[in-house]
Amino acid sequence: MRWLVQQPAAGSRARPPVALFLVFAALALAGLAAQRLQAGGLSPADVEAFYRGAEGGEPLTAAALWEEVHVGAFVYGFVLFMLAALAAVAPRLEGVRGGLVLAAFAATLADLFAPFAVSARPGLGALRVATTVLASASMWALLVAVAVAQARVGRDARA
Amino acid sequence: MRDPRLAPFRVPALAFAAFLVVQAASAAALFALKLGGSPAGVRAFYLGDAARFAAPKSLAGLLEVAVPHLAAIPLVLFAVVHVVSFARALPARAARGLAALSFGAALAGVAASFGVRYLGPALAPVKVAAFGLLELTLLAWAALLGAVFLPARAEEPARADTAAGAAEEIAE
Repeated sequence: MRWLVQQPAAGSRARPPVALFLVFAALALAGLAAQRLQAGGLSPADVEAFYRGAEGGEPLTAAALWEEVHVGAFVYGFVLFMLAALAAVAPRLEGVRGGLVLAAFAATLADLFAPFAVSARPGLGALRVATTVLASASMWALLVAVAVAQARVGRDARA
Repeated sequence: MRDPRLAPFRVPALAFAAFLVVQAASAAALFALKLGGSPAGVRAFYLGDAARFAAPKSLAGLLEVAVPHLAAIPLVLFAVVHVVSFARALPARAARGLAALSFGAALAGVAASFGVRYLGPALAPVKVAAFGLLELTLLAWAALLGAVFLPARAEEPARADTAAGAAEEIAE
């Protein structure tokens, strides 16, 4: 926190760990996307089959749905908190940081709870596909914006 | 908000508080659904229940849950305690006390799972109490983040003091 609020004096010391964090955040988001591909991916029918059970199969239990929320809230919550805090001190993101963070916050929350809707009513597989795409796109947009801003600040500091 | 340097972190901190509430709510739902929410349910979950054809939990099964929680809970607590302490939302002694209570409840909760399985079913109420205490402290930290970062009506008049306050805190 001190590194963040004492920008730019302490900012240069923070850049290497921030860069490494961004690499791991990217890997976490890629891993999350791969998990989603295993859970129906971008096909509404496959998503419905995953949550509601395919051809007479058992639907996912309430406990399994809450487990997905529990793990997802940690991953999304922590990565979003870190990216949003970094965006807050990035000098070249003034015009877009609020929109990027709020979009990611709304999309990730919707994505966490969309499986309950899919389980409750048939025909809502497309909802989960939409929230997955929006959450993924908004988190990647925030990550790329922070990475580009950090790279520019580093380049300016070296110049 | 006492410290104007915290203003840029309003949205990230409030988003983190919201996810903290989601984590606490999902943990409560899982505790109720899987462990029954009572000492009897905790005993049946860890020691097995012949009536439901449930086997006792294996060491591998206990570790599968304990290890991620031993990393994730301290990380979340560290982040929220750090932000709330930096903002001086609580007197130092109260913040230290709440932090100790939170970390203690987390550790007791994880340890009680092994305790119920390998030491005795009498520890089941400890598991319920530790879980309840951790939930309360998580909600308290989320509320403190809200108290620090939610826009307050009285913020404008207080703003005159903030520059001097921030200078004092930096000097410290």
